[in-house]
Amino acid sequence: MFKAKFKEAVICFRAGRVTLPYPFKPAEVPPKFRGKIEFDSRKCIGCGGCANVCPPRCIVIEDLGEVARITFHLDRCIQCARCQEVCPEDAIWPTEQFETATPDKSDLKSDMLLWMSSCQRCGRCFESDNAIDRFHSKRWRGRGPGEENKHGIFPVKPPIDLVQLRPLVREEREDKK
Amino acid sequence: MAMENDFLSRLSARFPGVLENLEEHVKNQYVATVPREKLPSVIAYAVKSLGGRFVISVAEDRQRTTGDFRDSFILAFDKDKKFLVLGAGVPAGDLTVGSVTPEVPAADWSEREAYDLLGIVPTGHPDPRRLILSDDFPVNTHPLRHEYAYNTRFPYAPGNAPERLKGPEGTTVVPLGPFYPTLEEPACFRLFLDGERVVGSDYRGFYNHRAVEKLADSELNYNQVPFVAQQICGICGQVHSCAYCQAVEDACGIETPARAQYIRTILLELERLHSHLLWVGLAGHIIGFDTVLMQLWRIREPVMWLMERITGNRKHYSSNLIGGVRFDIDENAADDIRRVLDKVETEFKAVVDAVSIDTTLMARLKGVGVLSEENARALAVVGPVARGSNVPIDARIDHPYAAYAQLGVQIQVQDGCDCWARTIVRLLEVFETLRLLRKSLADMPAGPVMAKIDRELPAGKIGLCSVEAGRGESHHYVLTGSENRPERWRVRAPTYQNLQAVGVMIAGQQLADVPICIGSFDPCFSCTERVETLDVNTNRVRVYTKDDLYTISRQKRLR
Repeated sequence: MFKAKFKEAVICFRAGRVTLPYPFKPAEVPPKFRGKIEFDSRKCIGCGGCANVCPPRCIVIEDLGEVARITFHLDRCIQCARCQEVCPEDAIWPTEQFETATPDKSDLKSDMLLWMSSCQRCGRCFESDNAIDRFHSKRWRGRGPGEENKHGIFPVKPPIDLVQLRPLVREEREDKK
Repeated sequence: MAMENDFLSRLSARFPGVLENLEEHVKNQYVATVPREKLPSVIAYAVKSLGGRFVISVAEDRQRTTGDFRDSFILAFDKDKKFLVLGAGVPAGDLTVGSVTPEVPAADWSEREAYDLLGIVPTGHPDPRRLILSDDFPVNTHPLRHEYAYNTRFPYAPGNAPERLKGPEGTTVVPLGPFYPTLEEPACFRLFLDGERVVGSDYRGFYNHRAVEKLADSELNYNQVPFVAQQICGICGQVHSCAYCQAVEDACGIETPARAQYIRTILLELERLHSHLLWVGLAGHIIGFDTVLMQLWRIREPVMWLMERITGNRKHYSSNLIGGVRFDIDENAADDIRRVLDKVETEFKAVVDAVSIDTTLMARLKGVGVLSEENARALAVVGPVARGSNVPIDARIDHPYAAYAQLGVQIQVQDGCDCWARTIVRLLEVFETLRLLRKSLADMPAGPVMAKIDRELPAGKIGLCSVEAGRGESHHYVLTGSENRPERWRVRAPTYQNLQAVGVMIAGQQLADVPICIGSFDPCFSCTERVETLDVNTNRVRVYTKDDLYTISRQKRLR
């Protein structure tokens, strides 16, 4: 009995203090950590792959004729990063942010509106399949001069009508600032 | 069909023609359709005389394909390393199947669940009360049928709570729950006390039914289910997603690359490691020895951080897809794992040295919560509870999956049948886990981690998979469907079977020992993920006595 208690005491003393100073100092996360997802509306081509694979249905894509609205319900997100895995444009990725507690659930919702090409017959939006069409379509968004995207489009400067479209491509988080 | 198996030939000798349409969808997994009237007697014979272990029953709504319902019983023949599914078609106009519970008590909950969710009536069931559905759910409404969408809102119908059992004359009823204090999970035990001694109990749980099976057969697709499966349990998430993926892969004949199998094994074993460390700590907490809790959880924490580094999350690894795993474990990660293992081993050895000779612990655990070997077999308990009661079953050995066949697992069995034996089983299993981890890291072959799947998965195939979680065998049944999703997915978490043994385990115990009895099988109410009620004692004990009397009288006659 005393032998066991002595051994247990040794274990406790040897351990020392192990409590982390977490709320006062930020907790570091490892490089592969999957936190809150972040997206780039300029890279997104509206293919809907992420909405298609998302297990908890936290990414919802709505087809509104010329515009596609993609809504991210981050309160439902299980941080599996399947969206990142399937995204052809690297437009969505998990960040290191994990402190998502909020008193207002709507803080965890963000959406973006994308101009898409729309079918002349049925009016639904679709993704153009060749680079030239894509360049001319209203929904095309460049990545700034000199940057190449996966489709090999190499824009020098964005087409003029794109500048007019910008306000429609919004992120809720930026609006709040 | 192959009849070289002893149990199959004996079964068809006893019931001629019963195995006429035996199918083998997957190697070592047999599926037979039995006439409905014969089903209870065939199952009772297979369990009692052929040594089959009742795993779970699966009720299915097949109105979309064959137009009827189906009730199947999965039996495991552990020594032969085989599964046998005995099923019967049930016409929609007459939804009754003779109950096997009087003969096979382990089938109790699962038959009541079949009634609650699909309306298949087990005629002759000794306790056909409501199990899964909530107290305010309408009667004669069976939500797992395909006629109801997954998001149907059912009308509020109060007053349908299952009848509460009355304790024997002169006993006091003490409620333990519905918010169960030691595990912070919802479950309600009503204990019937004679003084300080428990003479019976009544259980109502399943307060958190999440309807994941309904989601899988109506909403999700094949590759979304693993992520829902891993949310079934906060501890054995990898077990559930792995079991589901392997069941689908088996059913569809997908070859998983060897490296993916080793990575699954490593993640499963790491999960068992932190699950056992957590349990030993919790056991200490339940009996009021919080030093054990603090120290064990301190030792466990580096394992959680390790998981975060190699998978990206402490708990929900999100590693499995049909056909393999999503990420590799490279040399750096392997070194990282080895470092953590060394540290855990040294510290855990010190704890085992101290704890295994601690007379305080022995006083609280020895002779407490006894579950005899016969009862353990009759109630088909699994995992450390079974192994602590001298029943040598371990899915890693009996139904090898992932890379376990190559690794050679050593089973840990104790014959104490009490809480102490279960503790020892878990303590020893930690060392076995450390050995398996080192071996699999050393043996891991190079190659891809994901199989190429370039065709539609075939419909109508049945796959079964048992995966040994820290708490016991998790069993998944998958019937593949045609809409890129399973037609039926059935999950049997280990606690589902173990919880049914609580009544027997706590009968005759002191009230103060009840929490550790319940704690000793590492209950996970979220695993059970439904609601139920357990008739316990009075009925059950009477059944056993009758059995015993029969056995004794037969023996006497033989003499």
